[in-house]
Formats: sequence, structure tokens, C-alpha cells
Amino acid sequence: MDWLDANLLSILNGLALAALLFLIAVGLSLVFGTMDVLNLAHGAVSLTGAYIGVALLDPDAGAGQFVVAILAAAAVGLAFGGALALLTGGVRDHLRQALLTLGIAMIAGDILRQLFGADVQSVPTPNGLAGSVDVLGKSYPVYRLVVIGLSIVIGVVLYVVLERTQVGALVRATVADRGMVETLGVRSNVVLAGVFAVGAALASVGGLLAGPVLGAQPGLDNTILLLALVVVVVGGLGSIRGAVLGAVLVGEVQTLGVALFPAYASFLLFGAMALVLLLKPGGLLPARYGAATGGHA
Amino acid sequence: MPGPSRRRLRRTSLIALVAALALTAAACGGSLDEEGGGEEGSGSVKVGLALPASGVYEPLGVDMTRGFELYLEEQQGKLGGKEVEVVKADEGEAPDTGVPAVQKLVTQDKVDALVGIVNSATALGVKDTVSQSKVPLIVANAGADEVADGGDYVWRTSFTNGGVGEALGGAVAEELGNESVYLMAADYAAGRESVAGFKKSFEAAGGKIAGESFTPFGTTTDWQPFLSKAQNSGAKAVYVFYAGGEAVNFVKQYKSFGLGEEIQLYGAGFLTEGGVLAAQGKAAEGVRTSLHYSDQLDTPENKEFVDAYTKAYDAPPTVYAVQAYDAAAALDLALKDADGTSGEAIAKALGGIGEIESPRGTWSFDEDHNPDQPYFLREVQAVDGGFANAVLNELS
Amino acid sequence: MSTGVVAEAAGGGNKRAQIVGRVLVAVVLVLLALLPFVAASYPISIAGRMLSFALLVVSVDLLTGFTGLPTLAQIAYFGIGAYTAGLVGIHWTTNLFAQLGIGIVVAAVVALFTGAVAVRTSGIVFLMVTLAIGELTHQLADSLPQLGASNGLAGIPPGTVYPGAEPLLLAGYTYWWALLVFLLGVAVAVVVARSPLGRSMRAVRESPTRLAAVGQRTYVVKLAAFVIAGGIAGAAGTAWAVQTRFVSPGDLAFSVSAIALLSVVVGGAGTLWGPVLGASIVILIRDWLSQYVAGHGELMLGILFVVAVYLMPRGIAGTILRGKRRSDEPSARERAETAA
Repeated sequence: MDWLDANLLSILNGLALAALLFLIAVGLSLVFGTMDVLNLAHGAVSLTGAYIGVALLDPDAGAGQFVVAILAAAAVGLAFGGALALLTGGVRDHLRQALLTLGIAMIAGDILRQLFGADVQSVPTPNGLAGSVDVLGKSYPVYRLVVIGLSIVIGVVLYVVLERTQVGALVRATVADRGMVETLGVRSNVVLAGVFAVGAALASVGGLLAGPVLGAQPGLDNTILLLALVVVVVGGLGSIRGAVLGAVLVGEVQTLGVALFPAYASFLLFGAMALVLLLKPGGLLPARYGAATGGHA
Repeated sequence: MPGPSRRRLRRTSLIALVAALALTAAACGGSLDEEGGGEEGSGSVKVGLALPASGVYEPLGVDMTRGFELYLEEQQGKLGGKEVEVVKADEGEAPDTGVPAVQKLVTQDKVDALVGIVNSATALGVKDTVSQSKVPLIVANAGADEVADGGDYVWRTSFTNGGVGEALGGAVAEELGNESVYLMAADYAAGRESVAGFKKSFEAAGGKIAGESFTPFGTTTDWQPFLSKAQNSGAKAVYVFYAGGEAVNFVKQYKSFGLGEEIQLYGAGFLTEGGVLAAQGKAAEGVRTSLHYSDQLDTPENKEFVDAYTKAYDAPPTVYAVQAYDAAAALDLALKDADGTSGEAIAKALGGIGEIESPRGTWSFDEDHNPDQPYFLREVQAVDGGFANAVLNELS
Repeated sequence: MSTGVVAEAAGGGNKRAQIVGRVLVAVVLVLLALLPFVAASYPISIAGRMLSFALLVVSVDLLTGFTGLPTLAQIAYFGIGAYTAGLVGIHWTTNLFAQLGIGIVVAAVVALFTGAVAVRTSGIVFLMVTLAIGELTHQLADSLPQLGASNGLAGIPPGTVYPGAEPLLLAGYTYWWALLVFLLGVAVAVVVARSPLGRSMRAVRESPTRLAAVGQRTYVVKLAAFVIAGGIAGAAGTAWAVQTRFVSPGDLAFSVSAIALLSVVVGGAGTLWGPVLGASIVILIRDWLSQYVAGHGELMLGILFVVAVYLMPRGIAGTILRGKRRSDEPSARERAETAA
């Protein structure tokens, strides 16, 4: 167990990073898988969440303030996602979606830079969670463990909602057969816009939660977008389980992988992605239904 | 307007568009003539400022512009008694924007002298351009060791990466005695040169190195594996080179993973300089760095400078501001002696300006045209409700 | 250029349109050739860089617009061409034709090996695989000391066109070399587009099943397109190195790759001159206009992209040719027929 002892912290860090990546990427995956929309503004949404943390949290913020910030980030994310759904509504072609959403991301990036400046900003860890605990003999930051926990809870809730509730059934039905759902009197574009909005809200909250770890600065939106794209493609478009697996893989490659093979650190991520794609082009756990599979279950 | 006439209209507009583009791009003369230098014999001089106005280095660009303009203001807009016209260009983040920006200043704006350049790769990329066009470049930040090597047209008022590291080696070796140090840096030229400089003086003073790690530049978000390595190596101190966002994240993680108490963190000054320190806050307390400046320097010249700067810009000056301030001072001294305002004359005069009285102390150019200057050991301490780099002593 | 092809499709030999198209092309070429006589050094150097970037974009269009393979890997072959030309210039010869030739060969060979693996996938997966190729090459350029690592490859000597000639120092001369390489590259692209291979490429884009049904191997067609596009991108890279005499990893960044792909979309995928126009406008905004809007270059570009999507759904080329049937794009009836 020597190996485990030496690398336990890296493994935990990989899970913490995976938790953040899951929150950020699951929205991207669902939107692409269910609506066939390539949203390159996703990184900008996440960065907005981080900046909300910068704006609302002072260095002595307590857990209460933090919860308020999370709610604010979710609200802003919902609005941003709704707006994106509206703007991309008429655009069917992937390349034009990419052009549009990237353009929006660039505009958003410039606005954020005007509001918050170009300096690196810090998001403080909430007061009660700033300490460390003992994990198998090593000292580990509490905050990261909380992030892992929160992410698991949100993931489970998402899964349950999608698979076991009426709302979830409605979403799945809309994705599987829009026409049929319309005959039931449901406005399918409202449903899909809702998916978009929720996905963006998750990304925004993810960005906020990642703030104490990644900070906030111009250009971070591109980094996050790239990581999210890799997670989504590796995990499989449109599936929550795929997003989990993709996030864990990417998270561990970026931490455990770098710890074990530091000389090849820069090549690990894309090398791993290329490998997965060549062996399983659909990703590790592709969706069983959705636009990506032709719209039929 | 249906049919063929609409097509013809569109095609005509296309031709017109291309022609218009070609003509608007035109200025007097063509690009097949030899490029001369600036105008001779006028009482004014044109100075180009190539600094980042966008991208990750923008905060540095802001500081440096402020430092340069402050000096200019103190001299009533004149350098060496001549009126100064400042032309700015955005260096951006990397050579693909930096090199064209310098080219614009040199070939289109026809400046007599150039000041600036934050990015080392850009500085290396324009070396040939400035010597070919005979326009002196005073590098006010870029730290790659080989940027300045004694060539007639490149001068530097900032530092060399190796120099900043080398200044600290002896002091750390003395402090550690028989204990060892762990080295860590971002894996790019600046990181490697800084560590190499530190190693040189550290080992020369008898120090022991427990190990080293180079972390992927710009993509590392988690330093824990490397911090664990440092801990496991038994080192009692860590020397690092990080700047910008990486510096913020590194220092915060160093603290949150609990290394601060037992293992002293040393670094090149950029680890805790300027906006970076503001973002790190309490996490940076106790971190020791070497740099050729601190706004806490207790000398009359520096106090005067800090007061003037804070009054003008409502923020404390950083090392970047001082570097640009001194670049203006160097130009001032050169223009006093220069035989005219052409690039060639200024370059020649820069060779003989002697000592510069600066907020950082007194210094002069060495034979490679780098600053021969004092370095200071600084420690982050709580000062006036915030944090600052207090000066412990000068490093020999 | 393809305007001729377009005109042909427009109802069988509309001679007037054909002649107008050809005259237009000739006028533009003459203007481009005469540019160094009227423009100063700095605008000329921008124009030269625009031409090299435009050729890169043409290579992207060959894959994206013609073969239906949106790609982010062309920047890798561009970079390979640039670094190769630089290394040849530093270590062996300043002869520009040699640099061009070697650059093309090296880029095409790498495209062959990477493409052999990449074209087995399609759609979004292909896009991500090409992203991986681009990024891995970028990282390689950033870490290899022989390439100058993160500092880039500096000190590339000015090129010569024949042994013993004066090196090309003035902006006007390097511009002409960039123009020459651009014209050669576009000529190759046009020839390929009009050849049987070009038709197969378009068939791959429209209906791979049908192509397979007539006995052609889509894999071979895609790989051939990939290698040719790689060679053209490599050529563009060698011209880039000659002009700036400095190659850095930043030239291979993901952002450049993304902008190249988006220039194709802005310009109009599937024609060749549309993306050239798109590339020129993008570079103009990013490099020239951004100097005057201090730091808001990204904002300008973002606005351009959003406007392009709404006001020019088929790109600039598509908007100019609106209402005209294009041989590249089947009519609704044809589309219905080929729906497999």
C-alpha cells in the first residue's frame, strides 16, 4: 500500500478537480447530446460564476455568504443559459453554432474584463471550510472534500430528476420525439431551453466553487472550455454518467498523471483523449437517447 | 433589383472594397525603398512604447506606462531637453502580436527609440528588427538571459532571470547551513533560467539541493504532487519561480497544504509582486523573495517616488513601474549627450550615460547592457492593513 | 477560380457571368501584385501575413467545406512548415525554394501519419481528434529545445531566391514571395477541387454511403484530402517564417486554429475565395483594427462573428452569390434524393 500512501493526496485532488469539472461539463454534455447544440460560450458562463464569487465574497466570508453567492451564480447562470438557448435557437449547423457561441464568449470575456480588470482575482474559501482535516495520516483541505461531496449530491439529484421524475420524463420524451410531445400540448422549445438554462446554472455554480482553487482571470474561460470539451467528448455526449466518468478521468490525468509522469505532463491530457477517441469514438459512456443518436431511444 | 444587375452590383462592390483596402493601406512612398531612421535635426523626439494593453500581462503594461509617464511629467514632457512625442502600441500576450506591434512602431510610426516589451519571446523576436532599422530598444521588463548581449541597439533596465535567482543563492545557503533546499519552477525559459541562476550561487556557497521539479507552464492547477515531493525530500526550504496567476495559486496552495510552518518558501520576487500579492493576501505572509526593488525601500529617493506615484495613480508602485521609470531616465540622460535625435545617435549615447539615480538605488549598465544593480531580500509582512514586501537587507 | 465553376453551374454557360468572374479575379491579382508600389512597409507586412494566413484558411476549407471534415489540426502542419523552413534557413540554406519544398514534404508526411489515424473518425469526434493533434504539436513546439522551446525560433536569416542572390530584406520583396506561395497554394487547391478527387471529396461530404456504393473508398479519399491540405498548410507556414523571421509556439495556439476554422465559416465554406476574404477580414480586425481600439480586439472579433451568423448565414461568399445555384451545394430536390 506504499504506492497508495504516496499518491493518496494526488488521487483525492483528482477527485476534487473531477467534481468541479463534472459540474461545469455536465451542462455542456446535456445541451449537446439532447439538443445537438455546440455551445462554446460554456467557459465564459463558468468564468462569470467565478467573478460573482469575486464580487460578493470578502476575505472573511462565512458559509452563509457563500450560499448566497451560490444562489446568485445559479440565477445568473439560468439567465445566461436561457439567453443562449434563444440566440442559438434558429442556428442548426454546428459550425455556425460554434461561430455564434464563440463570438458571444468573446464579447462576454471583454465585458468581464471591463468590470473586473485584467489582474488575477482571488475567490476566498469560506471561513468555516478553510481548514484541513486528517485523511489517512495526511493533512487535506476541508474545502476540497466539501466540493467532492456537493458534486456527488448534485449529480445524484440530476440523475434522479432525469430518470425518475415527471419533469425528467418530459425532457427525455422531448428529446426522443419532439413531434409527439408537441401533440400533448407541451412546448418543446421551452423544455429544451430549460435544459440549456439548468446546464448553464450548473456551469456557473461550478465556476464559483472552483474559484478558491482556480481563481478568476481573463483567459480562464478558454482553459475551462477546453477541459470541459475534453470531459464531454471522452465521457460521451449527452449522458450524465458519461460526464462523471469523463470528469474523473480528466481530473486524475491532470493530477495523478502529472504526479506520476511529470516529464510528459503537457502531453498527458490530449494524448489520453486521442487514445480514448480512437478506441471508442462515441466516448466511454455515450447517451442511450438524444439528438446525438438520431433522436430515438 | 433582380437578376444580373444585382450580381453586377455585388461584384462591383467587391472590387471597390478590395481597391479601397489597398488604397487605405497606402501611405506616402512604397515598401521597396530602404527604411531610414527618424527625422534628423528637429527639436523633438519620437518614443515608441511597446507594452501589453491586452492579455495576461496587461496589469504589467499599465504599471509600466504609469512609471514612464510619471518620469516624463516630472520633466515637463521633455527628455534631454527635447519635446517628446509618445506613440503606444499593444504588445499583447505573445510574439504573434508583439513583433508586429514593434514593426509598426519602427516602420510606420518611425520612432527614434523604443521602450517596453514584457514578453521575453517577443524581445528575442525583435532583436534583429531593431538592429536592422537602427532604433535602440530599452527593454523594460523581458528577463530572458540572452535578450541583451552587448549589441548596440538593445539595452535593458529590468533584470535577467538568472540574476534574480543568483542574488538569493548565497543568503539561503548561509541560512540553511547543512540543510537542503528543494527547487521548483514553471517549465519555460524564465523558470529554468531563474532556477539555474539560484543553483549557481547556492552551490558555490556550499548549499545542498534535495531535488527539483518543473511544472507544466500555464496548465498546472494543482501543485500538491510537487509539494508532496518537496516535503518528502527532507528539504527545509523551497526556492521557486512563478509569476502571475500561477504565483497566486501556488502560494495559496503552499499555505493550504500546510507547508508554510516547517519549510520556508523562497522565490524570485515576482512571486509576490504587485497585483499578485493583493490576490494572495494572508497566504503570502512570511514568504521571502529577492528582487531589485520593493516599494518599502527606506531611502529618500524611493520615498519621494512612492509619494509621487501614489498621488498620481492611487496605488503603490511596483518593480515594473520603476523599470519603465528608469528607462525614461536613461533616455533623458542619453538625449542630453546625444548628437541629434536619430536612433543611431541615441544608441551611441546610451553607451556613455554612466550611473542612474533610481528609486531602487544607484545603478548603471554593465557590458552586456543589463543593469548592474543591488538586490534586496524581502519578506511579506502585514503593513498598514494590507500586505507588502518589507525589505530585510540588501543581498551581496 | 471557382467563380468560373459557379458561373457554369448557373444555368449552363452564362458566358457573361463567367467573363465577369474571370476579369474580377484578374483585377484582384493585379492589385495584389502592385501593392508594394503604393503601400508602406507596415501595411505591406500585414498584407503578407494575411496572405499566409489566408492560404492556411484555404487548406482548412479544403477539408471543412469540400470534404465535410471540420478540422482544427491544420495549424499543426502550418507550424511544422514554419519551423522546418526556419531550421533549414538557420542550419542549411537560405534558398526559399528549398525551404518551401522541404517544408511541404515534412508537413505532408506528418499529415499522412496523423491523418491515417484521424480520418477513421468523423463529425465532432474528428474535430476533437484534430484538436488533440493541434494541441500536442503546440506542446511539442513549446518544449523542444531545438525549436527554441517557449522562447521560439529566432535568428532566421533572410531568404534568397537563387544561390548568390541578395537576401530579401525589404517588406515589399518578402510580400511578393508570400503572394507567390499563396497563388501556388490556391492553384493547387483549385486544381484538386476540379479534379475527380475533388468530386469524390464533395461526395464524401454529401453522402458517403452513395460514394461507397459506386465502389470508392471514402477512407482513401479523406486521407488524400487530408495530406494535400496538410501540404498546403505547410507551404503557408514556410511563407510565414520568411516574413517574420521568427517562429514561436504561440503561432500554433488553439486560438489561431479556431480562428482559421471560423474564418472559413465567416467567408463561406465550400468556395475557395470566400474563406480568403473571411481570413482577410478576421486578420484585419484582429491585427490592424485592434491597434486603434486598444485592447478590445477580441470584442470586435466577437461582434463580427455574431453578426456574421445572423446576417450572413452562408458566409460572405454565400451572401454574394445568393439566389444563384452553386454546383457545390445541391438543390432541395437533390438533397431529398440523396438522403440516405
